[in-house]
Amino acid sequence: MKRRRYDSANDVERTPLERLRQFPREPDMLVYGLRSLGALIIRALLRVYHRFEIIGHENLRTNRSLVIVANHCSHLDTLCLLAALPLRKLHRAFPAAASDYFFQSVPRLWIAAVVVNALPFARQVHVRQSLSLCEELLKNPGTILIIFPEGTRSTTGEIREFKSGIGALVAGRDVIVVPCFIDGSFKAWPKGWRLPRPRKVRLIVGSPRNYRARRTDKVDICTIAAELREAVNELGETNGSH
Amino acid sequence: MLPQIALHDPVFRAYFLIVLISLAVGGTVLGFLRMVLKKDTASMFRTYWSWLVIAAIGLLVVFAGRIPTIVGVTLLAIYAFKEFARASGLYRDWWMTGAVYAGIITVGISSLISQPRGEEPGAGWYGLFVVVPVFAIALIPIIPILHNRSRGELQRMSLAIVGFIYIGWMFGHLGFLANARNAYGFVSFIIFATAVSDVAAFTFGKIFGRHPLRSEISPNKTWEGALGAFGVAMILPWLLRFSFPFFGTRELILTGLIVGIGGQLGDLSISVIKRDIGTKDMAATIPGHGGILDRIDSLIYTAPLFMHMAGYYYPLR
Repeated sequence: MKRRRYDSANDVERTPLERLRQFPREPDMLVYGLRSLGALIIRALLRVYHRFEIIGHENLRTNRSLVIVANHCSHLDTLCLLAALPLRKLHRAFPAAASDYFFQSVPRLWIAAVVVNALPFARQVHVRQSLSLCEELLKNPGTILIIFPEGTRSTTGEIREFKSGIGALVAGRDVIVVPCFIDGSFKAWPKGWRLPRPRKVRLIVGSPRNYRARRTDKVDICTIAAELREAVNELGETNGSH
Repeated sequence: MLPQIALHDPVFRAYFLIVLISLAVGGTVLGFLRMVLKKDTASMFRTYWSWLVIAAIGLLVVFAGRIPTIVGVTLLAIYAFKEFARASGLYRDWWMTGAVYAGIITVGISSLISQPRGEEPGAGWYGLFVVVPVFAIALIPIIPILHNRSRGELQRMSLAIVGFIYIGWMFGHLGFLANARNAYGFVSFIIFATAVSDVAAFTFGKIFGRHPLRSEISPNKTWEGALGAFGVAMILPWLLRFSFPFFGTRELILTGLIVGIGGQLGDLSISVIKRDIGTKDMAATIPGHGGILDRIDSLIYTAPLFMHMAGYYYPLR
């Protein structure tokens, strides 16, 4: 007789902590529940405490895979972008988070894996591997990647140079890229502060673009990165930083 | 079962001391093996540290009373079933998993509430508790029917039913036992005796083990270990007779048989499942033990058999 086949979870013999650290994570009812609950609380807090506002929300309305690119100066940025997504898409949305910062200490790991659903991104070594992981994810329709191409939080509020990795990810690929500008998060919760201050935060969603026709050589991916930075910058300027 | 009663209850206080002494003895033996005989006991110590945590939580929950005990058993059953579902692939179907969760929660609720028409005195609705499997098993095929699916559903339905009956319902008897008039004696004894017979099986197997018990199911278990555990289990009811002073010789022998044979059967039945799935442990939740289910597997047999044996000779309430 043929042996029965069981479709076991692929992390059965791992400890709970290892399970949080591994990626992709196995779906878990409790984690999904906590994440949805956390998202509701975060959304309410953003609305009340930061008078959070979204401009250009309709630009995110798609069921195809999506790369969201934004400026980064605060932990609030990730939360703002997640708050712009419908709850049911939350578990398919992966903000790329520095694995050296978010995937080492246990409390940060827990928040990154459970609340934010972060994708561990190795920004110093093995950047290629992390990028190919992103590429794998984008193959499933409905995946949302949230990427801050500056590579770290800005300490001045200015947008830094975008890393070329973002260009390599989207060049020649049929995937929607949405540039976003987050306004006010630097004043609300700058790097190094323990807690956020009650300042207004706005999210400006730009019009979607596509780099399917572009070549994937070094020059082109750097150009794409520069173009995306320009797009994000422009969103900030036209919508008037306060 | 209430904290203020537990404080003055001689049976609970006795078990508190017995558990502390057993852990101290176990720790001393392990320390002796390590310090004097220079044996490699690293893995045994990992298991031992986890035993300390398990004992502390167990004592605390039983001390906290009837409701925490039933809620604790229900949560344990849910988590153990989740491990089973993850290992067997049933967890990929959240509706089916949810149906079994609902069944397990019903087992917990039927242990908590009283019979609404007051025909049975006291807490715990025994009538509902005993028929929960009917409703749970009736609920499970409704999931594929509502989804209009049949491919692979026999396997999922079977896994859900096996998981519910073993882990939700049979193990759930431990919670219902908290409703007994003699709750401290029954609950403490069955947990303690099952744990001791597990440790005895391991120890005897380690020292004398030669002949494999069931080579195709669990290669590490031996006849020597099983017989050792059986012997210990037959003695325990007499040693701990104060837990149920009204038990006669017949009940004491039956209790020994239930713990001695039932404990091994529970262990082996979960091993059959694990072996067919092809995993060594159901999960890695408890360091040195494996998953929650690997720890509670013996209770799957001993708790319900003991409860119905005791209930047959003496009304639980």
